[in-house]
Amino acid sequence: MSGSEPAPVEDRRDSWEGPVPIPSGANETFWEATLEGELLYQRCEECGTSQLYPRAVCTGCGTTDPPFETSEGVGTVYSYTVCHVPGEPGFSDRTPYAVAAVALEEGPRLLALLDCDPEAVEVGMPLEVTFWQVSEEAAIPVFVPR
Amino acid sequence: MAEPIVAGVAESDLGETPDRNWLDNAGIATVRALEDAGLALEDVDGVAVAGGNDYMPALVLSEYLDLEEPSVLEGTEIGGSSFESFCGHIGDAMARGRADVVVIAYGSTRKTGPGRDQSLEITHPVDGFVRPTGLFRPPGAYAMAAQRHMHEYGTTEEQLAEIAVSTREWASMNPKAAHQDSISVDDVLESRQIAEPFNLLDCCLVSDGGGAVVLASEEKARELGVPEIAVSGVASTSTHRQDISEMPDMTTTGAAVTGPKAFEQAGITPDDVDVAQLYDSFTYTALVTLEDLGFCEKGEGGSFVEGGTTAPGGELPMNTQGGGLSYCHPGHFGVFVLIEAVRQLRGDYTGDRQVDGAEVAVAHGTGGILSSSSTVVLRREA
Ligand SMILES: [Zn+2]
Repeated sequence: MSGSEPAPVEDRRDSWEGPVPIPSGANETFWEATLEGELLYQRCEECGTSQLYPRAVCTGCGTTDPPFETSEGVGTVYSYTVCHVPGEPGFSDRTPYAVAAVALEEGPRLLALLDCDPEAVEVGMPLEVTFWQVSEEAAIPVFVPR
Repeated sequence: MAEPIVAGVAESDLGETPDRNWLDNAGIATVRALEDAGLALEDVDGVAVAGGNDYMPALVLSEYLDLEEPSVLEGTEIGGSSFESFCGHIGDAMARGRADVVVIAYGSTRKTGPGRDQSLEITHPVDGFVRPTGLFRPPGAYAMAAQRHMHEYGTTEEQLAEIAVSTREWASMNPKAAHQDSISVDDVLESRQIAEPFNLLDCCLVSDGGGAVVLASEEKARELGVPEIAVSGVASTSTHRQDISEMPDMTTTGAAVTGPKAFEQAGITPDDVDVAQLYDSFTYTALVTLEDLGFCEKGEGGSFVEGGTTAPGGELPMNTQGGGLSYCHPGHFGVFVLIEAVRQLRGDYTGDRQVDGAEVAVAHGTGGILSSSSTVVLRREA
């Protein structure tokens, strides 16, 4: 993904058996954008703080409703684990799978499923976002090696 | 300032308690701890409860015990570090003359009871981000922190395993411990993979059980004539809630803040500590806490624990009842680190199980996903 070009959104509504996000409050904008292949984060115009998950207050200065920006959707593995035991119903056929704390280029970290060979994952590995649509309302960000 | 004295400690039955609920276990632990102190229910001025699978657990337990006009009702929920943090709050109340006897209690049926109510989790906005990743929590989240430590400092799986091995050596001397058979580093590495880098033996067990600690004012403790185990320093903090991605630095916990504060209050340094009871939900939890409390330099926890440093006969006896890894782990393990610290300072044990001449102990609780930290320094008064 480069510039403002949206990331691919794959429709997995028929095969997804995991939990689905329930958009509400400050999250609604975020999940709406995922359906269009856009990964949003909040960036405060007052103090420059970048944050994710979406909140009604800026954690830097307390400003209410800091605006959303579109992330480039690229980052690196800050850390990861390979799950041999499924953490949620609907993940049992997927083991082993890698989950990473992804450090986005814009600053915030995001926990995400990785769609790649789990044994190939290492700290610092460059990633880019893709989306799996899992409900009418949301597509979850899933990262792949870049 | 007057320091609260730990006048009594006790566990309920541990392991599996299918005929009990959390409240039964907390109640049984409470009356046993009071008996240990030479006190009765009628002497109790208040309760401090966390982890009880109920709304308003302090009210639930004080009703269950039929306490008369309790003056201290404490239920601040900061996970496994709640009980250490209570020591500070109760100490403040006692210093102001508001109470003479307060019980810190915990009970659970984590193993045989019904699944925990998840409704609080679901209402949190971060869960929409975390749960669809399928991360196995808590082990996978702690594993992610351990992985970062390995990346930054070269810590190895073998070094993490050393902690499980040393802890099991202590458990082998504790008849109450769930697992008492000795294990090797290879046994840990060859146990079932859970969430890399953790294998099964890097993870705490799951049990039922409860524990209680009776705090008494100095005046009351003198009246009772119990051994004076004083709460000399307490500090608590948090770094994030339950989403490991929000942890500012996965290789440093709040213990780096609470350790120095509690040590300063108590007028000690890590070198003065004779015995350490450090929350060990996972091998990594204990490793990173050793570093953050200053028992070794940051990043050197791995080499520090090699060669049985924390095992019986080692330089820093740690988790001498077998810890959450081998003794019991009903969910909020923090009450049990206090109990064991007190027993070591009282000299309750014989032979290798007793740390010779233990005068200063540190009890450290960790809550959430490495989220909250509370340190207590306990000292045996001459
Ligand atoms: Zn701001």
